[in-house]
Amino acid sequence: MIGAGIKRGTAELAVLSVLQKGPLHGYELARRIEQQTNGALRFTLAALYPMLYRMEQQRWIRGTWETSANGRKRRCYRLTPAGKKKLSPLEREWAELFRALQRLTKAAHA
Amino acid sequence: MPDWQELVRQRLAGLELAAAEKEEVHAELAAHLEETYEASVKEGVNEQAAVQRALLQVSNWQDLRQKIQTARTRENIMNDRVRQLWLPGFVTFLLSTSLLALFEVFGAKPPVLVKVGQLPAVLLFIPWLLSLPIIGALGAYLSHRAGGSSRAVFSSIVFPVLPFLFSILLILPVSLIFGRFIAHSPAPLSLLMALLGWVLAPGGALLAGGLATQFVLSRRLDSRRIAGS
Repeated sequence: MIGAGIKRGTAELAVLSVLQKGPLHGYELARRIEQQTNGALRFTLAALYPMLYRMEQQRWIRGTWETSANGRKRRCYRLTPAGKKKLSPLEREWAELFRALQRLTKAAHA
Repeated sequence: MPDWQELVRQRLAGLELAAAEKEEVHAELAAHLEETYEASVKEGVNEQAAVQRALLQVSNWQDLRQKIQTARTRENIMNDRVRQLWLPGFVTFLLSTSLLALFEVFGAKPPVLVKVGQLPAVLLFIPWLLSLPIIGALGAYLSHRAGGSSRAVFSSIVFPVLPFLFSILLILPVSLIFGRFIAHSPAPLSLLMALLGWVLAPGGALLAGGLATQFVLSRRLDSRRIAGS
């Protein structure tokens, strides 16, 4: 299980990565992240929406109301050009951190 | 099944947003709770337990209200670019120009004239130059604290000399091309010496303080990241 501090740091990366594949509404976004991380990252409503609103203010994502096939109105989030630009350095930064930690762990076990 | 929108409205009572924006938030959160509830029912959970399971999504509504309010209002006021570049830049610019004026009025008279051979003299305000590393450090700190990139931090540090640089870069070609047609046109060589006195020397002083601060702050952040992980 991944600790809370790391989860907070990776949350934005998770949202941006999932939205890169296409627009999603909040519930579906949380479900996809949980599925794709085998339950390691799980967002409750209370954790998800303040973060989505903050990311929207930073113009990394944009939310628009859309009506689904069954007539339900939902707010769908999509990645903005600024969000796409933010994603690659964020991915690099985290990949670098994980590689560094792996090296550290290997060195500790050697 | 409860009226989710009414439930959210009641539990988020006191959310200080514009009426339309508040309704949007209520509708969005209600839709999320409703889908959580429906997913549980589909899994075979009884209705009452499904409601309870949906409500477990929020353990503290007051905290959620506060977080939503902060996310949707405070960050409206200043976006990233303002916090990371313009604000630190203007602070350093204001401080450096105010200090220059103060030194000129109260103490640093006359400024030091440095003359090398036949070249035009360079005017240097030594006390002002000595104060610039602190201002550069402040610019780096403010930009770094706001999460500025290396480029934003660098721009915040050298911000006070940018107006001088642009002025000289603007006047220099004009002086080179049209100098002989303009009375009292500054000689290109004088402009180059002004570049030294008003851009390179203060820029170097600002960078000395700013880059040192940036280095220290980055190292602190790195060690905190490693400690946190």
